Amino acid sequence: MKTGILAGILLATMTAAAALAQSGAPIKLANVAELSGGGATVGTNWKNGIDLAIEEVNAKGGVLGRKLEVTHADSQSNPGVARAQVQKALDGEPYVLLGPGYSGSVKVTAPLAAEAGIAQIMGGEAAELTQGGNKFLFRTSFGQQSSMPKVAKYINDEVKAKSVAIVWVNNDFGRGGRDVITKEFAKLGIKVAADLSTEAGQADFAADVSKIKAAAPDAVFIYLNEEESARILKELKRQGVSVPLIGETTLIGQKVVELAGDAANGARGHVGLTTDAPVDLIKAFREKFVKKYNYVPDHNGLKGYLAIYMIKATTEKMGKVDPKAFADNLHGLTIKAASEPGILMDATFDKNGDIDRQGFLVEIVDGKQVIKQVLPKLN
Amino acid sequence: MSLFNRYWRVALGVVVIAALIIAPMYLNRYGLFILSQWAVMTIAAMGLNLTLGYAGQVSLAQGAFVGIGAYTAALMTTNGLPLIAGLGVAILLCFAIGWILGYPALRVQHHYLAFVTLAFSTLAFLVFRNESWLTNGIYGISNIPRPTILGYPTNRPLPFYYVCLGSLALVSLATWWLIRSPWGRAFVALRENPVRALSLGIDTRRYTLMAFAIGSALGGVAGTLYAPLTQYIDPVPFNLSLSLDLLLMVIVGGSGFFFGPFLGAMIAVLLPEWIREVTQGYYLMLYAVAVILLLIYSPTGILGIIDRYLTERRTKAASALRAVAKSGLEPAP
Repeated sequence: MKTGILAGILLATMTAAAALAQSGAPIKLANVAELSGGGATVGTNWKNGIDLAIEEVNAKGGVLGRKLEVTHADSQSNPGVARAQVQKALDGEPYVLLGPGYSGSVKVTAPLAAEAGIAQIMGGEAAELTQGGNKFLFRTSFGQQSSMPKVAKYINDEVKAKSVAIVWVNNDFGRGGRDVITKEFAKLGIKVAADLSTEAGQADFAADVSKIKAAAPDAVFIYLNEEESARILKELKRQGVSVPLIGETTLIGQKVVELAGDAANGARGHVGLTTDAPVDLIKAFREKFVKKYNYVPDHNGLKGYLAIYMIKATTEKMGKVDPKAFADNLHGLTIKAASEPGILMDATFDKNGDIDRQGFLVEIVDGKQVIKQVLPKLN
Repeated sequence: MSLFNRYWRVALGVVVIAALIIAPMYLNRYGLFILSQWAVMTIAAMGLNLTLGYAGQVSLAQGAFVGIGAYTAALMTTNGLPLIAGLGVAILLCFAIGWILGYPALRVQHHYLAFVTLAFSTLAFLVFRNESWLTNGIYGISNIPRPTILGYPTNRPLPFYYVCLGSLALVSLATWWLIRSPWGRAFVALRENPVRALSLGIDTRRYTLMAFAIGSALGGVAGTLYAPLTQYIDPVPFNLSLSLDLLLMVIVGGSGFFFGPFLGAMIAVLLPEWIREVTQGYYLMLYAVAVILLLIYSPTGILGIIDRYLTERRTKAASALRAVAKSGLEPAP
């Protein structure tokens, strides 16, 4: 009898302890990103953004009273490695999977996360990622299918160009953007005067710029990574190309302005997410980031940061930590910056996991990014 | 002594094989993926070991052949053909291309040959990336199906691991037979002294081409397994770094040793994963240092160390025997 009571008490204590551990245990997140290889800048910015946001969230008491905890794994910018690392991350049963940033790596890992029923918040921008009916995949930035039409419209309505030369980098990012905008140009009746593919890491753009000159377009659309954007801007200036130079996010980034100097003046384009946005919360984010890491992040830093606040807002809406219900609750959710400052700008997630928020048209004037127009959120 | 040795070897072999069959049942999906990757890379490295280790031809194109195999398998299986057909085409294709690539090997040697194969590697990468009508370019090919073998689907990680392991076993047996056949002896003769081999009546020209072609075909076999393993391929994994990785596997494991590629692939596939586990951020650096130290200590790879140790012991034993025999022969003073 006595032993029975003792056993009962023991059991009760153990259950209580387990329950307590359950509610107080940290929420596990897993990040798989390009920490080495060709995408190291992308992955490192993304990772630092995540770490910064988690530090903030935990300093304020965590999510529903539980701390966030993240593990980082390196995909080496290789889809095969990304798959292995995501598999490993999923075996650890995380609450939400973060990353990768390369669209190819997202494509190979998304089915794994979907099979495990775990939401994946990633950085890839290729149009097709969210069009395959995957119910667990979420973007942190505009996909090319939503940003490129805005650029094409701008070239048509404001620049009034009838023929455009396209320069793109031959990886999934560049090729994806080029394919979408070419379709948009066809719809608007804009002629593609030259279609130039370049290599990631290319140093010399003299030949490409001569081809642009020979094609004599009304405008040039440049879709390269930051370093290459700076190099082609310098070469365009050297060879005296004076038509409008238009890009999307990368061409008017802070890093390009620093690298290209004078040559960047006059470049313009659409930016979905920029650390130079005239939004107080983004300015504050940039200051915090620079203070912690001693450099100015690109949009990938912002994306990683936002991913954590997406998790926080969704979880608080649900009122519980439920990995299975997470994706359902994030679909159709609007997160307002007024109630969740970490989201920086109001954002809505649709049924495909695509994001909707305001964007900017930017021009470089005297080495500074100047916002020419704020494109409102669609709904 | 030698009998004892042989028993030990057989016992070790049985234990390893049993472990490879039984242990995965208790592994999670990640562990299974890594082990499957090890089996696939071992096959590719065995091909290179044949070309480099046995026939002595330096090749930086093995990664390209894995790519050709992977693309062949991916294109055929996503169009509804069975994987076994993809395997056949991949082997034939890689054999033919390997044979053609072997021609420069008749003219140039060592690092010059490395340059020629390096150029081929880059060429293959550019074809994978730029010929989008065929390979879908940088977007890659997704949803590659896994095969159904004898009515048994291999979609889950464990059955597919056994497909990889089974293929590795078949390839190992075939290679084992090959290097013990007159062909294998001819390959070694080619590596050790081509002029002498020629004077002994070995058609060095034909065997050089053959070494290249067979090695490349094994690369194709590995590729045919790689595609359904990852179920998505794009050009990036098949760039020069894969060829270099495979070269590393062969050299680190012990080039010219039958079990070299097994160990080498273990070091190249499993060691980084293990170091990653222990030391988060610095794993690539530590891995590099480990490989450098190993090659300084033993340029002939891991099996070279064991070989050296065994030779030493044998020499000692032999000298001891000689000493005994000598003392017996010497006339009493």
